[in-house]
Amino acid sequence: MAEKESLTELIAIAEGGSHNSGLEKKRFNFLAWVSERGIVVFTVVLILFAVIFVNGFASLPNITDVFYRAAPIGIVAVGMTFVVISANYLDLSVVAQVATAAVIFIGVSNNYGLLASFAVALLVALLYGAVNGVAVGYFKANAVIVTLSTTFIGLGLLRWISGGSIFFGPEDGPIRLFGQIKLGPVPLSAFVLLVITIILWWVLTRTNFGFTVRAYGSNKEATRLAGVNTGLVVIGAFVITALSAMVAGFVLAAFSNTAVSAMADGYDFRALAAIIIGGTSVFGGRGSVLRTLLGVIFVSVLTNILVLSGIGFGFQQMAIGALIVAAVSVDALARRAAKK
Amino acid sequence: MTETPSPAAVQTQTIQLGTEAVGFVNKLRVTLARRTEGRGLALLMLVVLVTAFLEPSVFTSYQVTLGRVALIGLVALGLTAVILMGELDLSVASTLAVSGVVMASVPDIWLGVLAALATGLLIGALNAFFVVVVGVNSFIATLGMLFALRGLAFVLSDEKPVRLTDINAGIAFGAPVLGPITPRVLLFVLAFIALQIFLTRMRSGREFYAVGGNRQAAVDAGIPVRRRMFTGFMISGFVAALAGVINTLERTAADPTAGGTVLLASFAAAIIGGVVLNGGRGSVLGTLIGALSLGILQVALTFSGVQVDIQDIFIGTILLLAVITDPTNLRAALAGVRASFRSREKAQAIA
Repeated sequence: MAEKESLTELIAIAEGGSHNSGLEKKRFNFLAWVSERGIVVFTVVLILFAVIFVNGFASLPNITDVFYRAAPIGIVAVGMTFVVISANYLDLSVVAQVATAAVIFIGVSNNYGLLASFAVALLVALLYGAVNGVAVGYFKANAVIVTLSTTFIGLGLLRWISGGSIFFGPEDGPIRLFGQIKLGPVPLSAFVLLVITIILWWVLTRTNFGFTVRAYGSNKEATRLAGVNTGLVVIGAFVITALSAMVAGFVLAAFSNTAVSAMADGYDFRALAAIIIGGTSVFGGRGSVLRTLLGVIFVSVLTNILVLSGIGFGFQQMAIGALIVAAVSVDALARRAAKK
Repeated sequence: MTETPSPAAVQTQTIQLGTEAVGFVNKLRVTLARRTEGRGLALLMLVVLVTAFLEPSVFTSYQVTLGRVALIGLVALGLTAVILMGELDLSVASTLAVSGVVMASVPDIWLGVLAALATGLLIGALNAFFVVVVGVNSFIATLGMLFALRGLAFVLSDEKPVRLTDINAGIAFGAPVLGPITPRVLLFVLAFIALQIFLTRMRSGREFYAVGGNRQAAVDAGIPVRRRMFTGFMISGFVAALAGVINTLERTAADPTAGGTVLLASFAAAIIGGVVLNGGRGSVLGTLIGALSLGILQVALTFSGVQVDIQDIFIGTILLLAVITDPTNLRAALAGVRASFRSREKAQAIA
């Protein structure tokens, strides 16, 4: 794919700016500060606000509920961070992936046992990762369009094969059991999120693969010229996303012990919002899994506040969409200011 | 269609045809290499042939088919203007929904139409503001707008379909005006002609290609790139709003959830029609061809009793294949394969 830099970026480059690497820049840049460190402050302020002003936020059942709802979105988001860092915008097909995995975990394990359902789900996840990754990595196709089409293919297949019906797990099944285990107010799924975040943090910062993902995100051509098989890097990023979506599907299925093809609607933009608000740059190369975790907490607490205040679904969607645009704008403006 | 002729082939033709004919052949070849509609035309022919054999009723009840083509094509026409500049407008689906709701909320029908179209222009300008002035990547900016505006449509409509106050206007709108042609198809044809003239005959429209082909060169050549991009996004927003108005009139109610499949189908129409996602190449004629083939395919599938789910799979697969076989992408993939072979040969030669 050719340089997709925006016009303003191009002009900034043409004017010959230096990069914001801290040392040469002493002047305080508010926007850069917001996009770098803002998320910590915002999250703390939001939680404090919720504890003080929102009725019913600081109660144990509500906090457990926040954890339950944050866990699957968080698992998707930390996985998708790899795709965003590799400068491929996002993976819209997580909506289809999570729902497919949930339906497989409940539907297949009802008939053939848990192990078989894991095998099928793993196979499907690898297939998603491979199709998205090959189309984007080797054919250099636009990731948004590719994953838009795989979303429709995947959801269409899922609805067709499952007949659009709702699957219920047995009341005493292992999936139900997993969903019910809690340590104090914290459900097991939140620990799954934590473990996956730590694993992916290690992969992104401590392994060769993680390094090439970040390198590819900041400069595709240089990474290719350095002898890296860039197609494989992109496939790897999409496979990690698909595997996380599979785990998220399991957690989601365990939460409600039911599965239906529409259960993951909205996961694409909630996960994207968490990633971008966390401070991972959509321009690629910069970002971290831990930031995404903070972003997930922010988005989940915000959604919870809106729900507790009786604000409808439409307004929630508006707020999160506006947050995405605002966060990306801050990032873009900060980059431009840094290049001046 | 775009492969370059080998010199040997040109030479043999020179000998066979003589100088005058060569001029014509070369001209033809250059024209063919410039055109981007090849894949769309191939798909259209395939779809028409298969449909003619298996489900000929698609052509006898052409009013239904034309209506579907117009539905897919109208949004795709606006998208074409944006994609030609190397940008993307994902927010069209929500623009369609919001403008429909705005129109139905206004009691007077003509005021409603004006308000809806103004909404589309405003959304387009807002998209352009984020892309051009703030400097956000258009994929992400319009994706955020897609979600935010979908929310807005829900808020404005209270999450329920909004009934049109003047039902008679909606019924009158569904009746044919010119022979068998309904206003929807007529508006689609008018939009097509207007955009075709704008993009091929007018200076500012021609400059869209320059902006998409090489933006730095366009800036250097003194083309007002920012203004062109504002125009492009506003065209896209306006056309999407027009589609929303038409939908609302035909159904006599505005559906806040409208537009989900429109997004997929309109992108598919533009990309099958050969509009290159990186910008600079493509035509509204190609988009028309893409919309025709998708519309005929959809109606044929519906007539033969195929579920909507499977139709989604069909169109999704076609879009995926269309993006992959985009000439530039295909060339990139082939170059990658060739490069890996070459390096292997080199390694063997050294060893």
